[in-house]
Amino acid sequence: MNVANALNPSDLLYMAPLTVLALWAMFVIVAESFAGGGRRAWLMPLTVAGCAGAALASIAIFRSLAPGQSVSMFGGMLIADRSSMFLSALLCAGTGFTALITPQHQVEYQWESGESYGMLLLAVSGMVIMAMAGDLVATFLGIETMSLAVYVLTALRRGSRRATEGAMKYFLMGAFATAFLLYGIALIYGATGTTDLTLIAERLRTGGQDPLVVIGTVLLIIAFGFKVAAVPFHMWAPDAYEGAATPVTGYMAAVVKTAAFAGALRVFTLGLGGDFLPLGSMGWGGIFAVLAALTMTVGNLGALRQENVKRMLAYSSVSHAGVLLVGLVALGVQPAGTGHSAILYYLAAYSVTTLGAFTALVWIGSREQERVLVDDWAGLGSRHPGQALAMTVFMLSLGGIPPTSGFFGKFVVFQAAMQAPDNQLLWLVVVGVLNSALSIFYYLRLVMAMYFREPIGEFRPLRAGALTFALVACALLVLQMGIMPGFWLGLTGG
Amino acid sequence: MSQASYLLLAVLLLPLIGAVLVMFVPEGERDLARGIGLGVTILTFLVSLAILGPFDGRISGFQMVFDKEWIPGLGAHFKIGVDGISIWLVLLTTFLTPIVLLSAHRAIEDKVREFVAAMLVLEVAMVGTFLALDLFLFYVSWELMLIPMYLLIGIWGGQRRVYASIKFVIYTMVGSLLMLATIFYVYSKYSGVTGEFTTDLEKLDDLVLPQTAQIWCFAAFALAFAIKVPLFPLHTWLPDAHVEAPTAGSVVLAGVLLKFGIYGFLRFAMPLFPYGAAAAAPVIGIIAVAGIVYGALVAFVQDDVKKLVAYSSVSHLGFCMLGLVALTPQAIEGAIFGMLSHGLTTGGLFLAIGVLYERRHTRRMADFGGVWAPMPVFGALFLICVLGSAGLPGTSGFIGEFLTIIGTFIAGPDTFPQGWATFLPIPKILAAGAATGVILGAVYLLYMFQKVMFGPIRDEKNRHLPDVSPREIAVFVPIVLGIFLMGIFPRPFLKMTEPAVERFIREFKAKLSEPDAAPHLAGKPPPGDTPVPAANPGAAPTENGAAPTAPGATAPTAPGATAPAPGTPAPAPGAAPAPPPAPAPPVAPAPGGSAQPAPAPAAAPTPGAPPPEPSPASGAPGGQP
Repeated sequence: MNVANALNPSDLLYMAPLTVLALWAMFVIVAESFAGGGRRAWLMPLTVAGCAGAALASIAIFRSLAPGQSVSMFGGMLIADRSSMFLSALLCAGTGFTALITPQHQVEYQWESGESYGMLLLAVSGMVIMAMAGDLVATFLGIETMSLAVYVLTALRRGSRRATEGAMKYFLMGAFATAFLLYGIALIYGATGTTDLTLIAERLRTGGQDPLVVIGTVLLIIAFGFKVAAVPFHMWAPDAYEGAATPVTGYMAAVVKTAAFAGALRVFTLGLGGDFLPLGSMGWGGIFAVLAALTMTVGNLGALRQENVKRMLAYSSVSHAGVLLVGLVALGVQPAGTGHSAILYYLAAYSVTTLGAFTALVWIGSREQERVLVDDWAGLGSRHPGQALAMTVFMLSLGGIPPTSGFFGKFVVFQAAMQAPDNQLLWLVVVGVLNSALSIFYYLRLVMAMYFREPIGEFRPLRAGALTFALVACALLVLQMGIMPGFWLGLTGG
Repeated sequence: MSQASYLLLAVLLLPLIGAVLVMFVPEGERDLARGIGLGVTILTFLVSLAILGPFDGRISGFQMVFDKEWIPGLGAHFKIGVDGISIWLVLLTTFLTPIVLLSAHRAIEDKVREFVAAMLVLEVAMVGTFLALDLFLFYVSWELMLIPMYLLIGIWGGQRRVYASIKFVIYTMVGSLLMLATIFYVYSKYSGVTGEFTTDLEKLDDLVLPQTAQIWCFAAFALAFAIKVPLFPLHTWLPDAHVEAPTAGSVVLAGVLLKFGIYGFLRFAMPLFPYGAAAAAPVIGIIAVAGIVYGALVAFVQDDVKKLVAYSSVSHLGFCMLGLVALTPQAIEGAIFGMLSHGLTTGGLFLAIGVLYERRHTRRMADFGGVWAPMPVFGALFLICVLGSAGLPGTSGFIGEFLTIIGTFIAGPDTFPQGWATFLPIPKILAAGAATGVILGAVYLLYMFQKVMFGPIRDEKNRHLPDVSPREIAVFVPIVLGIFLMGIFPRPFLKMTEPAVERFIREFKAKLSEPDAAPHLAGKPPPGDTPVPAANPGAAPTENGAAPTAPGATAPTAPGATAPAPGTPAPAPGAAPAPPPAPAPPVAPAPGGSAQPAPAPAAAPTPGAPPPEPSPASGAPGGQP
C-alpha cells in the first residue's frame, strides 16, 4: 500500500478510541507534572473519564458495524470490526476499573505517583492498537507501547525490593520476547514480502509451505507464549505478579492478558490461518494444543501449593491462559466454529472475575498487615459477610462452578474445542475439565478459610466507597454473565 | 405450555425468593430467619403437592413442560417438566426440606441466616436437577447443589469437617466434569447429524451413537453418577461427609442427594447410551450386590451410629442400582420406590441420631443403652424408622426391596445381553446375593437398636434424658406417617410410575436394537447402512423381551394387592387388575425366590397393623393364576 491513498477521513473516525486514549494519556501526564505536589486525587476520576470515553467510542463503533463487516484503516495498518471493538471496550473498561481501585492502595502503601495514571492510559492505547492491528508492524508497536508502560507500572512501588525484582524479571523476559517477535516478523516478511496480515494470508494460501514461514510462526508462538505467560514461558509471571502493587497485579493478570490474546487472535487467525505448518492437520494448533495442556496443568499444580493469595492468583492466571489457548486451538482447527466468540466471552468473564478478586485483595489489607496469605482471610465470612460472599463468587467463577461467568466461559471454550473434526481435541477437553476439578481445590481453600475458620486478629480493611462499588459491580456482573450469557454471546457473535 | 407448568416454575422459584428474603434478615433475628425458611419450604411443599392435581398418571411422557429459550447461541433451553418418576422425587425433596429446617431448630445456633439460605438454595438446586429436561440446565443445577452442601458440611459440621467437605467436593467434581466433557461430545455429534445445536434432552435422546462411543460416554456419565450414588468402591467420601455433616446436612444428603446418582442413570446415562449401559449392566449388577453386602457388613462393625447408618445407605442404594440394571418393570419400580423409601427411613434415622446427639453429644453405641426407659416416645419413633429401613412388611422399605429382588430374579437373558457368563443364571445369583443383604440389614439395624435403646442403663447420664419435645415429635410424625403410608398403600405410587417406567424400558430396548453405525437419529439409520434391527446379540426387543416382561406386568400389583389387605381391603382389588397389559398369566418362576427376601426378623409385630405373614404375602404372585 502506498501512502498516498492510505489516509482517508473516515479512518480517523474509526480510530476514535485510540485517539482519545493517546491524547488523554498525554494530557494526564502533562497535567500531572504541572500540578506540582499534593494529593493528586483528581487524577483518578480524570483517568476513569478518559477510559469511559474511549469505551463509549468503541461501543458506538461496535454498534455502527454490521456483524462480519471490517473497516481497514491506514492502508491496512489497523482494522476495525466488531471483535476488535468488543475487545477495545473491554480493555478500556478494565483500565478504568484499575484506575478506580488504585488511589486507596497508593495512599495506604505510600507509593502515590501521578505517573501511574498516565502509564495506565499509555498501556491501554498500546492494547487497543494490538486489538485493532491489521499488520504485524502494528502488532509490534502495540505490544511495545503496552509493555513499556506496564514495566514502569510494575516498578512504581520503589520502596519495595520485591517490586524491583519482579519488574526487572518482567522487563528482561519481555525484552527477550520482543526479540523473538521481531525475528518472527522478519522471517515472515522475508518469505511473503509483506507484513500486512491479510496479504500474508493470501500469499500463504497460494505460495505453499516455506520453511521461513514455519520458523517465523514458531518464533511468534514463543513471543506470544511469553506475553500470555504460557508454560514453559511463564517463569516471570509469579515473581512479577507478587512484586507489583496489587492493583497493578490485577491489571497484569486481567487486562494485559486480554490484550495479549487480542493480539494473538489477530496474528494467528487473520494472518497465519490455514494448515501450512508441518505438524499434522492442525497447523499451529498442534503446538498451541501442547502448550495449552502444559499451561493448564503446570499452572494449577503451581497454584496448589501457594500460601500467598497473590501468587496463587498468579498461577491461576497462568492456568486460565491455558484454557484460552484451548479456545485458540479450537479456532485454528475449525475457523468456522464458535471458537472466536468463545475466546471473547472467556476474556470478558475472566477479566471481570480476576479484577474483582484483586479488588478484594486490595480491600482487605492495610499497611500493618497486607493480608496476602490464605490464613489471613480466616473468618472473613463472619466479620464481613458481604465482601466474603463477593470473594466466594469470584473464586467459584475462577474454579468454573455454575452459575458464574467462569463456568460458562469454560463451557463455551470446551464446547468449541469439541467441534473440531474427528474429535481431534477430545483429549485436550478432558485435560481441561480434569484441570478444572484440580483447580477447585485451591480456590476453595480460600473459601474454606473465610467461612470455616475463626479470624486471627481484627480486620482493618481499606474503607473506600470506590472499592465497595467495584466489588459489588464485579460480583453482580459475574453472576449476570453466568446466568444470562445469551446477551454476551450476542455481542461476541456466538 | 399449560398453566399447570407454572406450578413447576413456582416450586423452583419459591425457595429462591425465600433465600433472597432471608439474606436481608438482620443478623440477630434468628427466629425470623427460621420462620421465613420454614414458611417458604412448607409453602413450596404445598405447591408441589398441587402438582399431583393436574398430573395425569396414565401418560408416560413428560408433563407440565415449561420451555423457554435461555441461551440462543447455544441452543440451551430453560426446560422443566415431570413424569411419573421425577414427580415423586420432587415431592420427596420438598417434603424433607421443611422437616430438616424444623429439626435444626436447636442444633444450629450459629449463623442461622446463612444456614437457612443455604438450605433454600440447596432445595432450588435439587428440585431443578430433578425437573431439568435440558442437559445444560441439568448440569448447572447439578453443580449448584455442590456449593450449599459444601458449606453445610464445612461450616456447621463436626471435627474433621474441612477434610470431609473438600473430599466431598473433589469426588463430585471429578465425576461431573468428565460428564461435562461427554455432554459436549453428544452436543457436537447431534449438531453434526441434524445441524441443530441443542441441549434439549428429549431431542438428544433420539441420537444413536456408535457402540464404542456409547461405551465411553456411558462410562463418563456412570462415573459421575456412581460417585453420587455412591456405588462401591467409590463410596469412601460418603461416611466422612455423613459423619462430619450436621444432622440437617446428613438428612438432605441421604434423603435426596444420593438419589441423584440413581436418577442420573435412569434419566440420562441409560437412555442416552443404551448400548453402553447394556454392556456395563453385568458389571454394575455385580458391583451393586457387592455394595449391598459390603455396606451391610461394614455397617455391622461400626460403633458410631451415624457411620452405621451411612454404610447402610451404601447397602440400600445398592438395591436401587441393581434394580435399575435388571431392567424389568418390577425391578425399576422397586428401585424408584426404594429411593423414596430410603429417603424417608434413612432421613428418620439421621434425625433420631440427631436427637440423641443433641442430648449426649456422643454417637458411640457404647455410650448408650437402656435409653428406652427415659425416652419411650422417642424409642417408638426410632423403632419405626429402624424397621422401615430394615424392610419390615407393612413399611415402605419392604416394598422397594421386595420388588427389586423379584424383578432381578425374573430378569431374562436380555437383561444382561452382553453378559460374559451366559451359562450362569446371573440374575438369580444377583437376586440371591441381594436377598442376603436384606437379612444382614435387619441384623445390624436391630443390633444397633438393641444396644442403644434396650438393656441396662450403663451410663448414669442416660437415666434422666428428656424425651422428645413436641417440636421433635412434629419432625418425626410426617416421616413415620410416610413410612406407613408407602408401606401399606404402595399402589398409588407404583401406578403413577408404571407408565414412565414402561416407556423407559421400551425406548431403551428400541434404541438398543439400532444398528451400530455412525451417529444417527433413532429409527433413521445413516445412508449406506441397511437397517438391521437385531444386529447385536441379545438385543431382540420384542419377541425375546415378551417372555420376561409378561410376569413383570402383573407382579407390581402383587405387593400392592397383599400389603393393604390387613389395613383396608378396599383399594387393593380395585386397583390390582387395572393395568395388566399382558393378559397371559405369569409363568411365575418367583415363589421360591420371593419367599426368601422376607427375612425372619421382619416377622416382628408392626405397631400399627397386624402382622401380614410374609410368606403368603410374597407367595401371592405365584398363587394368582
